[in-house]
Amino acid sequence: MRTLLLAPELFLHEGGIARIMRLYLKALCEIAEPGDQVDCVVLNDEPGRDPRLERYTTPRLGEYVGCARGKRRFITETVRLGRRADRLVCSHLHQLSVAWLARRFNRDLRYFLVAHGIEVWRPYSLMERRALLGAHRILCISEYTRRQMLRFCPELDPARLIVVPNTLDPHFAPELNDQVSTAPFALPRILTVGRLASDDAYKGFDTLIEAMPLLRREHPTARLRVVGKGDDLPRLTALAARLGVSGSIDFLGPISDEALRAEYAACDLFALPSRKEGFGLVYLEAMTYGKPCLGARAGGTPEVINSAVGELVDYGNLFDLAAAIADLVRHPRDSEVVRRHVDSFAFPAFQRRLAAVLS
Amino acid sequence: MCGIAGFFSATRSPAEREAAVGRMVQRQAHRGPDDRGTFSAGPVTLGMCRLAIIDPANGHQPMSSPDGRFTIVFNGAIYNYRELQPSLTAGGWQFRTNCDTEVLLAAYAQHGPACLKHLRGMFAFAVWDERERTLFAARDPMGIKPLYHARVPGGGILFASEINALLASNLLPREIDPASAGEYLAWFSVPAPRTIYRGIANLPPGHALAIDALGRARTQSWWQLPPPVQPGRAAGNYQDFVHGLRHQLEDTIRAHRVADVPVGAFLSGGMDSTVVAGLMARGSRHRLKTFSLIFGEAEFSEQGPARLAAEAFGTEHHEELLTGSRVAADLPRILASIDQPTGDGINTWYASQAARQGGVTVALSGLGGDELFGGYPSFRDLPRLEKILPWWRRVPGRVRGKIIAQLRARPGARARKLADFLAHARDLHELASLQRRVLPETARLALLSPDARAQAQRLGPNHPMLEDFAFQLAGADSFQVISAWELRTYMADVLLRDSDVFSMAHSLELRVPFVDRVLLEWLWPQPAWFKYDPRRSKRALADATADIVPAAIRLRRKQGFTLPFSKWMRGELRPFLDETFSRASLASCPWLEGGEAAQSWEAYKQGGDTRSWSRVWTLAMLIAFANRGAAP
Repeated sequence: MRTLLLAPELFLHEGGIARIMRLYLKALCEIAEPGDQVDCVVLNDEPGRDPRLERYTTPRLGEYVGCARGKRRFITETVRLGRRADRLVCSHLHQLSVAWLARRFNRDLRYFLVAHGIEVWRPYSLMERRALLGAHRILCISEYTRRQMLRFCPELDPARLIVVPNTLDPHFAPELNDQVSTAPFALPRILTVGRLASDDAYKGFDTLIEAMPLLRREHPTARLRVVGKGDDLPRLTALAARLGVSGSIDFLGPISDEALRAEYAACDLFALPSRKEGFGLVYLEAMTYGKPCLGARAGGTPEVINSAVGELVDYGNLFDLAAAIADLVRHPRDSEVVRRHVDSFAFPAFQRRLAAVLS
Repeated sequence: MCGIAGFFSATRSPAEREAAVGRMVQRQAHRGPDDRGTFSAGPVTLGMCRLAIIDPANGHQPMSSPDGRFTIVFNGAIYNYRELQPSLTAGGWQFRTNCDTEVLLAAYAQHGPACLKHLRGMFAFAVWDERERTLFAARDPMGIKPLYHARVPGGGILFASEINALLASNLLPREIDPASAGEYLAWFSVPAPRTIYRGIANLPPGHALAIDALGRARTQSWWQLPPPVQPGRAAGNYQDFVHGLRHQLEDTIRAHRVADVPVGAFLSGGMDSTVVAGLMARGSRHRLKTFSLIFGEAEFSEQGPARLAAEAFGTEHHEELLTGSRVAADLPRILASIDQPTGDGINTWYASQAARQGGVTVALSGLGGDELFGGYPSFRDLPRLEKILPWWRRVPGRVRGKIIAQLRARPGARARKLADFLAHARDLHELASLQRRVLPETARLALLSPDARAQAQRLGPNHPMLEDFAFQLAGADSFQVISAWELRTYMADVLLRDSDVFSMAHSLELRVPFVDRVLLEWLWPQPAWFKYDPRRSKRALADATADIVPAAIRLRRKQGFTLPFSKWMRGELRPFLDETFSRASLASCPWLEGGEAAQSWEAYKQGGDTRSWSRVWTLAMLIAFANRGAAP
């Protein structure tokens, strides 16, 4: 069995799709039988093997092609490797037409799509529609994404859309020496993580900032720690200044993995009241540290957060947001229960699920 | 029909809770002038005021089960209570009354929340379970009876039939939510679960609220629209469908007339109310009383068709003349009775007043017929628009942007509404969501202050429940999609809400036989072309009642019910509007861009498009609502 994995990027940037597709690569390599091979074509990554690649592969990895943003090369390499492949796993809808093309050259090739979030929550072009209808199966990261696809392409056979929830990188597991960060004393200390990009304003960082004055009425020492960078930062800092809560918010910028672990370990709760999370991997990361999570009742978030491990609020409802944070402080969730919740999303379970869906 | 209220708090003393519940019950006393009562146990206090309709001599509430485990407060009517009684008796319940409240209590005691699926009627109720120390509250499937709830700062949860009652508890801040003000300008009402007040929630139709022993509240849906396709349930041909529809209509009228007090009907002259009155008159032993509103402005009045129907059915017909000066004089009372701003519903205020003064305690109306039988233009227009969307998406983005910008620059609201469709709608759901908008997006944003505008932009131009509704309607045909959107948005959030508030203001129980779970579940899987014919308005309804409804009404073009506001606003209502849009009045609305709001009234006054009256009136009602006294 030869498997070909297509991805927009794996190591160039630390985006959510890159992170989860590295785990797809790892799982594909690990479920490969002796004699099987996994090839990989990545559109944006540089040619040559990134040092981190070793963590996510086994000797079953065959060819690994980085196309350095060369679309023509991406297409020709996909067709070349697709001719000898039995199945193709496509990481992004934008690349599905290339998978469809590869099948023109290899009638036995079955192709799969991994559908994440907002990239598939929209109407499809004729070409995309044709490629979707030709997919053997579509792996949706949440039931929400599955429903959105059926909404915008009702011709799809619902039985071919299968939910395969995202998983946590085993390398991210907490370590004993994770240091608690040395931020000033605060209760509650609220952590939020994500790209602060104006295109991603739906993430809800601004609603967290706007809820701070309400929260400070009950918890004057509340502190919001914001991890991430992006072009929306000036707007968010200006908003904090205008509301008079700059002193309660730390914009930490992009930080190292170690520093991020320290933030997770030190916070009282994790909050990302986003409107459009396909899944919300960061909630799982926080939960591995036993931290309760706060999300919006929107997108795939309610499939990750339940009342035992956190709170859900309506997107944009500042009053509820502040009340939910106060509630999580008053009624902290049992950290063991929170950690156990993550087990159902652990890598071995994900790998088994993936093997079953691809078989 | 009643008003209910309650307070769940482990930290407040019974005396504190009873005082708060007492104030809430007092504030909604108009909902039930016949009786009232309170109950306290553990962390909960329940209260209610009763309008006695069924078994008036009994049925005092709060009502407890004989073993004292369950105690209920209930607002509404369970029409199939007699059908449910035998199985509950067989289950061991010994009935002490002939009241639907006891049937509901027994059904809950025997089946728990699962009893909801057996109920036919309109209801909002709360049950305290003494053994489990839990409170369970629920609202009927389509949202006929209201239930609002709020967390009390410092702990505890309040609920009541009216927001005014919640505010009367003096435990909640009376703060208008700028985001809700923005939503109101978009949708004519604030869509559930949000309300106009920050921190007060509207339990959505078909939802239940459960409070556990630790005081944690959870809301969840208990009813959804039926599956769109149900093999074996659809009629085989049109004749069978019409025959079946007639049977269902007779059944829903029979169910809805259950009462031990006089029952009448609203008769507007339109098809829906004529069908209701005709079927009622046919099955009645007494002469039916019917009520119509008439206007001096002949072009708005449906006096002729209503009279014709009343004569055909032999009803005792009452006509109520409505004038602009009368509305102007009553506006303070109308504003005091509403608990959220509305740009609609004043007709129900007057029709209810006329019915109550005319000697009936219960009245049936034709509300819901347009939603079930395609009475709105949206049923015709949206499928056409849907067909052009794929072609529109193929136009290069820059060209699309230019076309949208040009449409937005035009003064007419129709062009700007089309711009909204083209800019934001991607499928039929989004078209259906956007078509009920009052103000085009650009006009709405211009009216909001910078903070409120940012909030509105964050929520976006589409309906807040878009995705929930779209998912529930997977596999539905175009007719079902549009019907569902009308049922779930305009009907639930505006028509039913206003009908409840304005009828209750006159202690009248308004019943809506088209908004019936049994009728809807039968009708839903029937083929769209049976229910709707774009060439002939309400064909199915007309054919099913051809022997009752006069031909002149069956064959008449739909007029669409409109009050003569476009004229009154430049006449009798002008002083009210001048004051509403004054600088002092606008100062109470920090979430509005005052200059822009005043300008919209000036433009209308100076002879702007008369069709824009509803947008100006909607805005005026929001401003007037914000200026109501602190204790209406």
